[in-house]
Amino acid sequence: MGTVPEIAIIGYAQSPSWRRAELTEPQFLFPVISDAIERAGIERRDIGFTCAGSCDYLSGQTFAFVMNLEAVGAWPPISESHVEMDGAWALYEAWVRLQHGDVDTALAFGSGKSSPGTPAEIYPLQMDPYTLTPLGIDPVSIAALQARAMLDRNLITEHEMAAIAARSRAAAKGNPYAQVSGDFDVDALLAEPYVTAPLRKHDLPPISDGATAVVLATAAKAKEVCEHPVWIRGIDHRIEIHQPGMRDLTESPSTRLAGEHAGVGEGKVDAAELSASFTHQEKILRNELGLGDDVEINPSGGALAANPMMAVGLSRFAEAARQIAEHGKHRVVAHATSGQALQQNLVAVLEA
Amino acid sequence: MADEIPTTTHTIEFPYTRTLGPVFSAFLTGMRDGRILGIASRDGKILCPPTEWDPWTGDALEPTLTEVGPGGTVETWAWVETPTRKHPLHHPFAFALIKLDGADTALLHAVDAGTINAMETGMRVTPRWKDERIGHITDVEAFVPEALGA
Amino acid sequence: MTKGTEPVEGMDYFMQLEYHELLCPVVRRYAEALRAGKLIGHRCPKCGLVYAPPRGYCPIDVIETTDADEVQLADRGVVTNYTVVTPVQYYGQEETEPFAKVSIQLDDPGGALSLQDVLEVPVDQVRVGMRVEAVWAPPKERDTGEIGNRSFGSAAGAIRGWRPTGEPDLPADQIMQAAF
Repeated sequence: MGTVPEIAIIGYAQSPSWRRAELTEPQFLFPVISDAIERAGIERRDIGFTCAGSCDYLSGQTFAFVMNLEAVGAWPPISESHVEMDGAWALYEAWVRLQHGDVDTALAFGSGKSSPGTPAEIYPLQMDPYTLTPLGIDPVSIAALQARAMLDRNLITEHEMAAIAARSRAAAKGNPYAQVSGDFDVDALLAEPYVTAPLRKHDLPPISDGATAVVLATAAKAKEVCEHPVWIRGIDHRIEIHQPGMRDLTESPSTRLAGEHAGVGEGKVDAAELSASFTHQEKILRNELGLGDDVEINPSGGALAANPMMAVGLSRFAEAARQIAEHGKHRVVAHATSGQALQQNLVAVLEA
Repeated sequence: MADEIPTTTHTIEFPYTRTLGPVFSAFLTGMRDGRILGIASRDGKILCPPTEWDPWTGDALEPTLTEVGPGGTVETWAWVETPTRKHPLHHPFAFALIKLDGADTALLHAVDAGTINAMETGMRVTPRWKDERIGHITDVEAFVPEALGA
Repeated sequence: MTKGTEPVEGMDYFMQLEYHELLCPVVRRYAEALRAGKLIGHRCPKCGLVYAPPRGYCPIDVIETTDADEVQLADRGVVTNYTVVTPVQYYGQEETEPFAKVSIQLDDPGGALSLQDVLEVPVDQVRVGMRVEAVWAPPKERDTGEIGNRSFGSAAGAIRGWRPTGEPDLPADQIMQAAF
């Protein structure tokens, strides 16, 4: 990857994931940003660059993301940017920006309310307008096509999928921000009807509203203000072909490539926070990142426990950083995804 | 007494008309005429649905399309128990990736199989065309099991 | 139609999405007050700016505001800005004649409403500095169902519009500092 710049996560905060938030997006984003800045040990006015990740289609308002800047504090005027993507990509842009060397801290955040709209009707609009959107093809149906392909090739079983759901929900009991948690019996889960076969409800992510914020700093600043900076040792993003019929949905070459370029295989991985919003996708991601049974996957419960679109990928970074800063892990992988059925993937390696 | 929190409702809607360019114009003209067309990639693979560029090299592709199908093989499928209002059918159906005869890539479309038990990876399907066609991916109302005929 | 001879040149797509969002607490309170014939806002305890409807925070000082910061606002003020829209008949446009939308700086304690309608004055006489007062709908006819979480500056369903009071105009330089 060339010379890796020394950039660290020095603060992070999340809102709980709600099925239907009563507060507006700027209102629940407000304390999340304040908390992240406070935990970073810096002043709001010291932030050199701000980047937000959100999706106007979720809000149903053009420039909805502009209102979110009220939660950041944009007076006096600030240097900021926005990506119509998960906040993980806002973090990526902030990471790139910090390499210019003229600013030493950056704030990245992601937020969204999926509850007001109908996700199954919104997401078809991001697809090929001639051949896919008019069929109203929704993310659950595409994920189901992917799961069927895996089952057909004996790459996974429905039992394994349910076990992933049960494990994630059990892990989420320890996550105060999670929405779906508890102890579930695998056989009881398998007795439930399909929603879109071969996927059952437990194979799907919840619909969530929420926000996450992360503060980054360059080396000197990080060492000055932070007791346990979490270093970003590698980060990379790759994208595949759009048409699902031109991909092998049982593989994720973009994840594999991003993982290689981020340097996942260059050391022992203690844990990984993966944005697998469908149970079967966890297995694909593990395979492509080369994560064996000794790696703890999604100690937070992952996207199956809380899925605030536009924040869920950045939440993986926050949770991965938490594993290092608060739970003594040394090297943790964070992963974010976008597009249908793992079409594009961002992978980072975080280190103590 | 449970106080219902009021909801604010808004709708966004717009009637778009999209221009097509030479590749999609040819493809949708084919649909109107009851033919499914594919495009040749740089190394001679037949792509259906067509793309305007080579997915592997990025080169622009010659907009000379050739007929594929009409029948094909289901490569994978999903059974939609509760269709949304945007789905092409309003009773339970399957979405499937269908590799049409003569094509090297799969087309995503609906299979009106009647019941989940009639679906199987590897099954043969054939298009059921609408009587009135306008040049649209849904000029094929859905694919149906070849055994049942269109 | 089937089997035309000309190539297909366009594809129609009718895009429609519906959103149903819970009204946030602070706007619920604002709407309730409107139905009772009162305009309310939040005044920032730090900078003194008044927000109508209240947002639950001051974006300038980046601090949260609460019911403790609630103030009742005047329902009279001055036009600080306006635009006259000549409607283009695109899909969804209901207006056919030119119409004005005005911004109003309310009298003390302050607050600004935007995109308000003016009544009892021809469109070509709308001007900055014009003093106006609210024309409230009768109590039984007030319906705040149109007010949403992002209806900043709105009083829809309760205040029908604003009419000139007949008082002398305020000179523009006295209202220059007011927000749009």
